[in-house]
Amino acid sequence: MEIKRGTYRLEARGLVFDLVDDLNLNNGPNCFYFRGGNGFGKTSFLEKIIIPALKTDTVQYVYIGQDIRTQLYTLKALLSVQGIKVSGSDEVELLRLWINHSRSARVFILDEFDKYFADYGFIFDWSAAFIRTYIIVSHLAYHQSEAVAQKYPVCNVRFDLIDFDGHIRNVRITKE
Amino acid sequence: MLILSFFCLFVFGPFYDHITMQLIVFIGILGWNALRFSLRETVSLLKFCLPFVFTLFIFGLIFHFTRLFGRQDWLQDTFIKCMVFPSSLIFLKVLLSYITYLDILSLPISMKKRIDLITLKSAFSKGERILRRFSWYLNTYSVLKSGSNIKYTLKKYACLIIALYLYLYEEIDHSNRLLRNRYQHFQETNK
Repeated sequence: MEIKRGTYRLEARGLVFDLVDDLNLNNGPNCFYFRGGNGFGKTSFLEKIIIPALKTDTVQYVYIGQDIRTQLYTLKALLSVQGIKVSGSDEVELLRLWINHSRSARVFILDEFDKYFADYGFIFDWSAAFIRTYIIVSHLAYHQSEAVAQKYPVCNVRFDLIDFDGHIRNVRITKE
Repeated sequence: MLILSFFCLFVFGPFYDHITMQLIVFIGILGWNALRFSLRETVSLLKFCLPFVFTLFIFGLIFHFTRLFGRQDWLQDTFIKCMVFPSSLIFLKVLLSYITYLDILSLPISMKKRIDLITLKSAFSKGERILRRFSWYLNTYSVLKSGSNIKYTLKKYACLIIALYLYLYEEIDHSNRLLRNRYQHFQETNK
């Protein structure tokens, strides 16, 4: 699956992206690191550009949003509806159960997961057998997980604010 | 008083069985909400109610076709419930929007009841916002999408209701405990 270079407008969210390079998300085992400051539209790019493109191409994916506390309620409900016992499970156990039941997924998206778990190597231990591409959104200040650096070719994707007219942020996205 | 009258007349009272009356009340309340907020907000509120109404409707259909308890009026009762539920919810929501937290504090009722009302008002505003996010997350779970469209919709709505219930249960419990503790602490400090 490829996101072509070009301009992507999310004016309702006050963002215009200039994607400088094509993003090929289906090119063998890979790990994309999306990095940039607060308010540069990393999550919007994921939720409005990447995820719809994955849906269009019917690529199955696992997405852990940055409001993970909210998402956990839906995970508890989802697993319960599938007949899996979740009472008494802590958040890590819930994630493990969910990932274990998502083995048809090929892309794993983590949005600022390092805010909650500084060392999130366990995610790779649970999913490496079936995931081909990881997309990890992180703040500029955070360091890459050691587990990622050792196992996967890493592609850094940088979000830079070009200008802001008070309403719209123009953000350039480049591969490093 | 207004809340009591509404529930005594239309939810538990003499007009409950009147489909036409319920339809008029439903449309009237929707109009009131549109005037108070906006048409867009009203549509979004209807979307909020949809999973619950849909579930009610499906159960009503099952009860009708299985002739549960030998009753012949399940379908009519289901239609009424499908109007009464959103009517009461929207009625409460609109009415609560006229009442501020300070108004609740000045009501001539016990502090326990005031805290319950504050928690209810807060739960209403939180629940509506969170449901959209829940729905968004559920749309990303491919595991739900196996099977037919109707199966997917049913499973998604079931998940939405469970997630909302869990969220509200924890949120209400947490807010209620927090308010009570603060009030107790305030009283002890004053002594």
